[in-house]
Amino acid sequence: MTTTARRSPTGAGLMDRRRLLQAGAGLGALTLTGGLAGRALAQTPTLDMWWWGEQELPGLQAYLDKAIAAFGEAQVTPMLQDTAVVISQFQTAAAAGEPPDLQYLWNGIYHMESVWLGYLAHLDGLMDADLLAASNHGPLSRFDGHVWRMGWYPLPMPWYYNKDLFDKAGLNADAPPATWEELLAACEALKTAGVEPFGGGVQDGYWAEWYITHGLSQNLDSVGDAVNLFIGDLDFREPRYHQHWVKLQELRDAGFLNKDMASLGLYPGIDLCVNGQLGICSSIGTRLPADAKTTNGRIGCMVLPVFGQGALAGRPVVDMQGMGIAAGSEAKEAAAAFLNFLNAPEQLASFWDATGWIPAASGFDDSVISDPSVKDLWTRWGKGNNITNITNLMPGQFYEQAAIPTGQNIITAGMSGEEAGELAARVAQEWRDFNPDLVEKYQQWASDLSTG
Amino acid sequence: MRRNSPLVPYLFVLPLICLLAFVFGLSLIRLVEFSFKQVRGIDGPWIGLRNYELVLGQPLFWESVGHNLKLFLTIPIMVGIALALALLLYERLPGWRIHRTILFLPYILAIPIIAVVMKEMFQFSGPVNAVLTALTLDFMVLDWIGSADVALWTVMGLIVWRETALGVILFLSRLMALDESLIEAARLDGASWRQRAWFVLIPQMRGVIEFFVVISAITMLSAVFAYVYVIGGGRGGPGTATMVIELYIFNALIRTSLPGIAAAVSVMLFAVSLLLIWALFRVRRREEA
Repeated sequence: MTTTARRSPTGAGLMDRRRLLQAGAGLGALTLTGGLAGRALAQTPTLDMWWWGEQELPGLQAYLDKAIAAFGEAQVTPMLQDTAVVISQFQTAAAAGEPPDLQYLWNGIYHMESVWLGYLAHLDGLMDADLLAASNHGPLSRFDGHVWRMGWYPLPMPWYYNKDLFDKAGLNADAPPATWEELLAACEALKTAGVEPFGGGVQDGYWAEWYITHGLSQNLDSVGDAVNLFIGDLDFREPRYHQHWVKLQELRDAGFLNKDMASLGLYPGIDLCVNGQLGICSSIGTRLPADAKTTNGRIGCMVLPVFGQGALAGRPVVDMQGMGIAAGSEAKEAAAAFLNFLNAPEQLASFWDATGWIPAASGFDDSVISDPSVKDLWTRWGKGNNITNITNLMPGQFYEQAAIPTGQNIITAGMSGEEAGELAARVAQEWRDFNPDLVEKYQQWASDLSTG
Repeated sequence: MRRNSPLVPYLFVLPLICLLAFVFGLSLIRLVEFSFKQVRGIDGPWIGLRNYELVLGQPLFWESVGHNLKLFLTIPIMVGIALALALLLYERLPGWRIHRTILFLPYILAIPIIAVVMKEMFQFSGPVNAVLTALTLDFMVLDWIGSADVALWTVMGLIVWRETALGVILFLSRLMALDESLIEAARLDGASWRQRAWFVLIPQMRGVIEFFVVISAITMLSAVFAYVYVIGGGRGGPGTATMVIELYIFNALIRTSLPGIAAAVSVMLFAVSLLLIWALFRVRRREEA
């Protein structure tokens, strides 16, 4: 269509009456349509959603974009947060009275502190009760009789072992070590075969945290015991509560840890195992689909071989990421509707399609998992008799000043397992001195967890 | 007001003081206020000096202070190297302009960029150790960033490499501004290069050297965060081997939800920095007198 206007001989650009009427009618129609649309828009609630996770689960952003576009009950504005400020940014905004409506929440203390500060709304009565229960939020989202967080996607925490290296060392790749003695024997065999047996990368500290996840829990009878260690009802100086560090020292002294462990980060350390340079390492389930593909299924998963006597020993660990609603949100119902929407079967399928990973909700049809390694992991960890990640009960101060330094110092030969127990006990005491207001909350939480 | 009134100079700087008071003043007042409170979120109850008591009674704080003080060892090294390089460049050796640019390059690059590259190079299985091994210097192969005994020295090496560049440029600028007739006279009198440097040039650079020393001291005290954050794996590690006061404050504020503690340490750090600046002015004034 041409837009060239014919000029009137009597005056440039003047309209005739018919065109003027047509233009007027058109403008009127536009105004009416715009007004109706504006009113409809004004009635649609807007939700701010602060989230994290693309960092550990590539594809999550693509999934969210699709879900938000498909959600008709509210206009959701997502903001991907930096890892360092996920908690502090939310708490500062909540304290200032301007929180996002929806907030990504790590497990345990990482959201419970916000609960205690009154920044989160409990989800009972907001979310559909069945969907909330089926979201598998985990025990660490309960406090004071309420659930404060929806489970979004699970993080099984297996130990990887490289089956090709096991073959090379003459070990049975289908029967990884289950006891500590078997682990030591396997490490010896790997070392004899010229393979660095055990480890990963601890330079950024996360390996030390994960080691506690798997090790300390072996001498606990309930998740609440972990809280009791921080509030002072139990003591890290008792041998059973620092035995995991003594065992790490044992691996170090035997020369079973990879030599560059102290200067490598967590993920480069896992890569060593995937690339056939390290026998056994601590890993995370979200990596498995890609790692299984890279190795043609030659990565096996196992729990940390057992040395402890606690009721939680030998059980697979599954962490859970989640999402909650801010207490200061003015659109809680709409926010809850969005969370319900994310748990709809078609959304769970869309999550799988975009991320290649399993959503937390029981409504997910896991028959779509075709990779045998992932299927096996999901069967034994996700659906098995799993336990939660107890490091999510750690106060931040303990995490920074004891959990990470102990592991790093043991590995770099600066500390013994017993000394690690001493340091942990001292830092736990310091935490109680620095945070007298939180100790009481922790006591209640420990009680909830021990009885729950 | 008369032009020679003693108030006139102060009136000239008054707008800047007002601006600074507006930008920093309020924050400082809040910072001091927070240091006396048990802050949760953005406020909390008044607890007097408790935050200071807790901090001063914590071994980790003193370990961090010790590491900052250890970093002060880099200052004489930086002054020595920067002075030597500046004097060499001043001799206008062939290609001195290119060398000057190369020497200043580390200072232009952002610290995290340099630190990330260095971290890769100094990994146990990294290029530095590979080269040492290739040269059969195995005894020098160290776990540069993974050993608690070595990591802080690695950070210090990185700091010296980067921060010395500023010294070179400052010193060279001062040398360029000197009266060349004095140097020429010394040369005609038969003074060697070392004698010219020691008896003619360096005495005239005293002011700029002092300035660099104080700037470096403040840097070691309160501007090494980026170095230790990258090299120490974001944790001041391994263990607490590279923990410094800035990282202690960062952890208190961001990672352990203790803004009151972070404020107390910040106030103390601010006070020490002020003391250093006061010392600089006092030295300068004594010299001028």
